[in-house]
Amino acid sequence: MKYMIETRGLDKQYRERYAVKNVNLKIRPGCVYGFLGPNGAGKSTTMKMLLGLVKPTEGEIRIFGKEVEEGNQIEILKHTGSLIESPSYYGHLSGRENLKIVQMLKKVPEKEIEEVLDIVRLDGQQKKKVREYSLGMKQRLGLAAALLGRPKLLLLDEPTNGLDPAGIQEMRELICDLPKHYGMTVMVSSHLLSEIDQMASDVGIINKGKIIYQGSLQKLHDKAKSSVCIHVLNQGAAVHILEKCREVFDIRGEELMFEEREEEQIAKLVALLAAGGAQVTRVSEQQKSLEDIFLKLTGKQVSL
Amino acid sequence: MWKEWKTEWIKVRYRGIGLILLAFAGLLILWSIWALDKLSQKQLDDGYRILFLQIPLLDTVLLPTMTAMLASRLCDAEVKGGTLKLLCTLEKKGRLFDLKILTGACYLMVFTAVQVVLILVQGAVHGFTRPIDPGQILFFILQIWGVSLAILVLQVVLSFFFENQILPLAVGIMGSFVGLFSWFFPNGIAKKCILWGYYSQLCFIINDWDQETQTATYRDAPFDVRSFCMLMGILGIGYLAGKRFFLRKEI
Repeated sequence: MKYMIETRGLDKQYRERYAVKNVNLKIRPGCVYGFLGPNGAGKSTTMKMLLGLVKPTEGEIRIFGKEVEEGNQIEILKHTGSLIESPSYYGHLSGRENLKIVQMLKKVPEKEIEEVLDIVRLDGQQKKKVREYSLGMKQRLGLAAALLGRPKLLLLDEPTNGLDPAGIQEMRELICDLPKHYGMTVMVSSHLLSEIDQMASDVGIINKGKIIYQGSLQKLHDKAKSSVCIHVLNQGAAVHILEKCREVFDIRGEELMFEEREEEQIAKLVALLAAGGAQVTRVSEQQKSLEDIFLKLTGKQVSL
Repeated sequence: MWKEWKTEWIKVRYRGIGLILLAFAGLLILWSIWALDKLSQKQLDDGYRILFLQIPLLDTVLLPTMTAMLASRLCDAEVKGGTLKLLCTLEKKGRLFDLKILTGACYLMVFTAVQVVLILVQGAVHGFTRPIDPGQILFFILQIWGVSLAILVLQVVLSFFFENQILPLAVGIMGSFVGLFSWFFPNGIAKKCILWGYYSQLCFIINDWDQETQTATYRDAPFDVRSFCMLMGILGIGYLAGKRFFLRKEI
């Protein structure tokens, strides 16, 4: 099995509007896949389609290498855990009773309840009614339910939503540990780039229902390499010289932007411009951040 | 299937469904104590007939509201707690719907059984002279349980559909009124179209009121099998349509 999750041409249309359009996900086993996108980009809809909660208009979903159909959906999903949007719980029942329901439905041994309560550090609060839990505790209970049965695949939709900084840090550490300690593949969505940056090894960026980047986070970081900025007084002359030499560049205000290059090449470039009368006044290096790339890809301001 | 059904019984813990049923049963018991006080010899003869007529009449008022409350208690935990998005990845959505109906049907069966016991106990306590007809006990169960079950299907669909449970409850209360008025509607197709009207439609006791002597005479009537079949048809169609509606609903 090459991919834990693979989708082909996944569409979800609501009347005339596409919430998700031609999404082709490829999630490798054992990775933390960060599903990143601005609010309303189609992250939750995509994850709900993977879990069979929303019916795709078009497309194919393969989980664990098997095509998900109505007949085998529950059988496949029994090996997954999920936490979609807000946590799901029965407020009138205790944390333990909530987990008991999931344990019975997943048909796993009862002793696993203790294990997952221990993992999410809720063992001391298991007898308390869930309506008396804080949001962070409810979120951890949701994660405990998802972890029951040691699923091979975990789908977490914005799991840190509404948590305080300490809770966010705790949840993040927990998610990062899952592939290492339990061999799980985790798909985690967020609109926070910094969050995905700290958790994921692979990343998929979705915007307006379309995947605009998919690959390793490292490759995305590589895209964030620095650029060279040259300030000239005579921009017209500079442009003329550069076009003549077939140089690739961007104009940003009064500055000319070039891709990162060797120092010798920069020296040659400056000499060329100076000789052509472009009047070079300043040469600087500019580091492109992940946020810049996200902004460039999505056209939206990233949440930090 | 059994494990899945068992989870339904865990979910209804502390929901006070037993108390709701007890409260409605208590009302019926209190009414029966009041209504059967100081019976004449003729009334003692007709004791079971009186109860087989009067209890369905009271049920027409009580049961639509009680069933709406029951369905709401069974389903609102899923709606409020957002657990459908978890449950539907663990069990078939259609089965979840079936188990809700099954659980509700069990409660309704218990409530119907309590009413049968009430009739038998009142008969023994007051010494009704004419013996009870076992066939009529069966008709009574079919009448009360059958109609309530059809109402339950409607209420479960409404409770799943509306986050605000006031609306399904309002439908239940409206059903009580419509059902009560239906006792006074003439027999005809219009009456058969009212779900809550089947409590009266399936009544197998006729009450003749003599204005001059100010007395009521009770007599047996054949159980309306055609209306019962029609009710079962409504129940079947309602169940299939409700389940389809629930299955198509995206979470």
